Amino acid sequence: MRIDRTHQKWLAASLIILSVATAVYIVYAAHSPAGPSGGSPVGLAFGIVGSAFMLFAGLLAGRKKLPVWRLGRAQTWMRGHLWLGLLSLPLILFHGGFRFGGPLTSVLMVLLIIVVASGLFGAALQHYMPNVMTAEVSKETIFEQIDHVRAGLIAETDEMIAATAGSGSAPGAKQSARSAAAVGQTTALAPEAALPLSTFYANEMRPFLQEKGPQNQPLANANTARIVFAELRALLPPEAHDTVKRFEEICDEERQLRRQARLHHWLHGWLMLHIPLSFALLLLGCVHAVMALRY
Amino acid sequence: MSSTALVELTIDGNKVSVAAGTTVFDAARLNGIAVPTLCHQQNETPVGVCRMCVVDVGARVFTASCVRPVEAGMVVNTNSEKVHRARRTLVELLMADHPSPCTREQHSGDCELEALARRENLTRPRFAPHRTGRAKDSSSPSIAVDFDSCILCDRCVRGCSEIRDHFVLARMGKGTAAGIAFDDQRAMGESSCVSCGECMVSCPTGALTNKSFTHTALGTGPSFEPVPVEELQQLPFFQGVSGTFLSLNRGAVVRREFKRGDIICREGEYGSTAFYILEGKARVSISNPMAHVKTKGAVKKFLGKLSSKLAQRQQDQRDEETYKRWIPIDAPVDLDYDSPVAELNPGDLFGEMTCMSLYPRSATVRAETDCTMLEMLRNVLDIMQRNKNFRAQLEKSYRQRALDSHLRAVPVFAELTDEFIGSLRESVELIRYSPGQVICRQGEPADCFYLVRIGFVKVTQSHLGGEMVMAYLSRSEYFGETGLLREDVRTATCTALDHVELVRIGAHDFKRMLAEFPEVRRKLEVVEQERAQMNRERLSVLQNVPLDDFLTQGLMEAQSLLLLDLTSCTRCDACVRACADAHDGVTRLVREGLRFDHYLVATSCRQCLDPLCMVGCPVGSIRRRNSLEVIIEDWCIGCGLCAENCPYGNINIHPFNVMAEDPAAPGHKKAMVKQKATSCDLCTEYAEPSCVYACPHDAAHRVDPRKFFAGLLNQAPVTTKR
Repeated sequence: MRIDRTHQKWLAASLIILSVATAVYIVYAAHSPAGPSGGSPVGLAFGIVGSAFMLFAGLLAGRKKLPVWRLGRAQTWMRGHLWLGLLSLPLILFHGGFRFGGPLTSVLMVLLIIVVASGLFGAALQHYMPNVMTAEVSKETIFEQIDHVRAGLIAETDEMIAATAGSGSAPGAKQSARSAAAVGQTTALAPEAALPLSTFYANEMRPFLQEKGPQNQPLANANTARIVFAELRALLPPEAHDTVKRFEEICDEERQLRRQARLHHWLHGWLMLHIPLSFALLLLGCVHAVMALRY
Repeated sequence: MSSTALVELTIDGNKVSVAAGTTVFDAARLNGIAVPTLCHQQNETPVGVCRMCVVDVGARVFTASCVRPVEAGMVVNTNSEKVHRARRTLVELLMADHPSPCTREQHSGDCELEALARRENLTRPRFAPHRTGRAKDSSSPSIAVDFDSCILCDRCVRGCSEIRDHFVLARMGKGTAAGIAFDDQRAMGESSCVSCGECMVSCPTGALTNKSFTHTALGTGPSFEPVPVEELQQLPFFQGVSGTFLSLNRGAVVRREFKRGDIICREGEYGSTAFYILEGKARVSISNPMAHVKTKGAVKKFLGKLSSKLAQRQQDQRDEETYKRWIPIDAPVDLDYDSPVAELNPGDLFGEMTCMSLYPRSATVRAETDCTMLEMLRNVLDIMQRNKNFRAQLEKSYRQRALDSHLRAVPVFAELTDEFIGSLRESVELIRYSPGQVICRQGEPADCFYLVRIGFVKVTQSHLGGEMVMAYLSRSEYFGETGLLREDVRTATCTALDHVELVRIGAHDFKRMLAEFPEVRRKLEVVEQERAQMNRERLSVLQNVPLDDFLTQGLMEAQSLLLLDLTSCTRCDACVRACADAHDGVTRLVREGLRFDHYLVATSCRQCLDPLCMVGCPVGSIRRRNSLEVIIEDWCIGCGLCAENCPYGNINIHPFNVMAEDPAAPGHKKAMVKQKATSCDLCTEYAEPSCVYACPHDAAHRVDPRKFFAGLLNQAPVTTKR
């Protein structure tokens, strides 16, 4: 979600809550001879409000599971998740008087800090990454379809190389409608003339499309790929240049798919940390509440 | 132009009134007066070369009626002694050069020239024969050419260039050396001819005949009984069809015997044949449930998940629910909404749209008694439709059985009395148009009203900068009323999108109807005003249309777009999941599509202004509300053609488990899966579409593209690209 001017009201409300809470805490801390404590009425109030904020933030996962239920717009929930979740950290710190306490409360505090930090990190990623993906991945597809699109690219190149350099050059060449148009435009070359192309395809391009080979292979980088294709063009007769051009486009698409996959992992990977720790935090928070109130 | 565009003249003593621009030949034909002709065919441009259709209009010389337009006060004599004598001489002259009997006459006895000679009782020509001396051309594998039999009528030339767009045939030479030629005087077999056979079918004599090389087989097996050419020609409705053609297309028409209860064709299936009932009765029906897809929220629209169910009109009356009680199908009858079953009788032809335009079957036809039918392929039906005997029989059947229900299927005509419809029976005309043929042009005088019987008509208006599609009309929809009501010119151009058949009601009858039924006039005026208002709104859309992408992506045609702001969208797919959740797991939204600016135009119904999805629906169940929102009627048969036609992939086919009649056991029901077409319903149950509501990142928006992108569009210079 972009953090923009539409968040002003949430920001203002959060600042007010934080200011009030800070003022209360300063007065409360100044008037507590033994220092602030989570068990005192004010400390307990900070704990309850902070926990309520955490609980609300945690309920976003449940809200997402019921997208059609008219429980409030999902973006309102998301804004609440962001701002109230963030506020829960100072409130819980006020609750504990900036002390971590025993083993359970220490674990809770560490968890809370990690959860809030990962949330901030995620918010920052979700603020910037969509822009990056939009700018850099013009041929974006649905993430789950990437393997399918890649298989289509490989099938197309296999057919093109078979049409240009003979069927022996394309190990996995199969009939497919997808590349019929592209294949229709290729020109068959004599075996010796096609040798540089078939060698390049077998040794560099197909492994690249199959995601085999080293990460730093020339085709994985746009600049080095441009040089590789320029060299290849120089070795081939002009009638093969259309095929080379299409190969270059396919490699570019493959690079974009890889870039999309990487950005997607950045966009959503942090949730692998944030969500389980949030659940752990809520669970241990409940344990802490029961233990603190009962004992 | 006012109603003075109608011209009054006298033909053979009868006062007749026809539109200005009509030829004398057509004026006579429209009033039941037959004028003989050789070079003129209704589906070809008249050229007036054979002079057989000459008539006396009181001028110095006779005139060829096929090319002569009518004039006010003209007095035409089509069959006076002088005219008759002139025609007889023409036949004699043509017969002098004609190798009688020609190949066609020998094979099938239906050479049109020799038939005219027989009618004139000409046995021995008075004139000496003159042969061209050109050899016969047998180089084509399927068509034999005999240049001596050619009468230079040019029907083959026009058939090749006007009907088929092949432009292989042309006229070469002059005087007695004139003749037809293939490409640049090549042998037919070496020319660019594709052997479509149109020239041969167009030829009135034995100049172009079938070599019996090719066979068209409709099917084989005991139930497919080929009908010999001689036997076909004995049937009244095949009389006049070229025997050469039937011979060439042996196997393209077969006799089928069906036992009582046999299914002849099923709704939704694709086919390529039409059926003509010779004996017995058949029952035509729609078995798909009469219901539409209704997405409903449970527990007071709050907590429950949405579910999609089939709802009948009585259970769920939608806004502007069509009051049409008749369902148009590909048969001479319409089906009643409340009881979608009808009977087909001997002489009925069904499956025309499937056969001619390859649309899915619109209904299931079952043999009610033991039946004998002719099943025919498109090439045969195409020729049959041009055969005047067959057409006369079809028209008669239509006038007697279908005109009533067809007119009453149109809501504005619901008030017409039986007496009035009875008076229309003899005056209405069925007219066919080929794909792409212009039916009427904007600016022409309005001389008649049209009701669509078969096919789809595109209505367009020309404006500065280009042409705009106003509507697509299907069976039981009408056009031409605006010009007649205003007594003015046509306000739009109407073009046949596929093989179209129209019921033409002349201006005189139309005006009589308006005078006798003021309620019909009032309703027509309301519709006319609604259409005019809609057109004005659409026209305003045309202004300020810059940006190539906006146009090429069809965004200008969209009324509502689901846009995903790619700078906010985290690609979490919450919108897709919400859509699927809202519609029983069948999403009507795919998060993929073209980009415009930093927005993704997601695959979800756009409510297009030019809704191609509506073209081809075999039962006319997809239509537009006055709000221009697409609505799918209860009688959707789930054939999926609209989903195929939508250029943006925005229509889905939703399967439902229902109890429906078992085709194998009539009268019994069994559980089966039936399909219904659905498109984005904007989750109208709620204030906001679920996809937008469920987006946590404020990235999904349902917008009117012209308002939403107004800022962007106004930045660019105005250039219209149409």
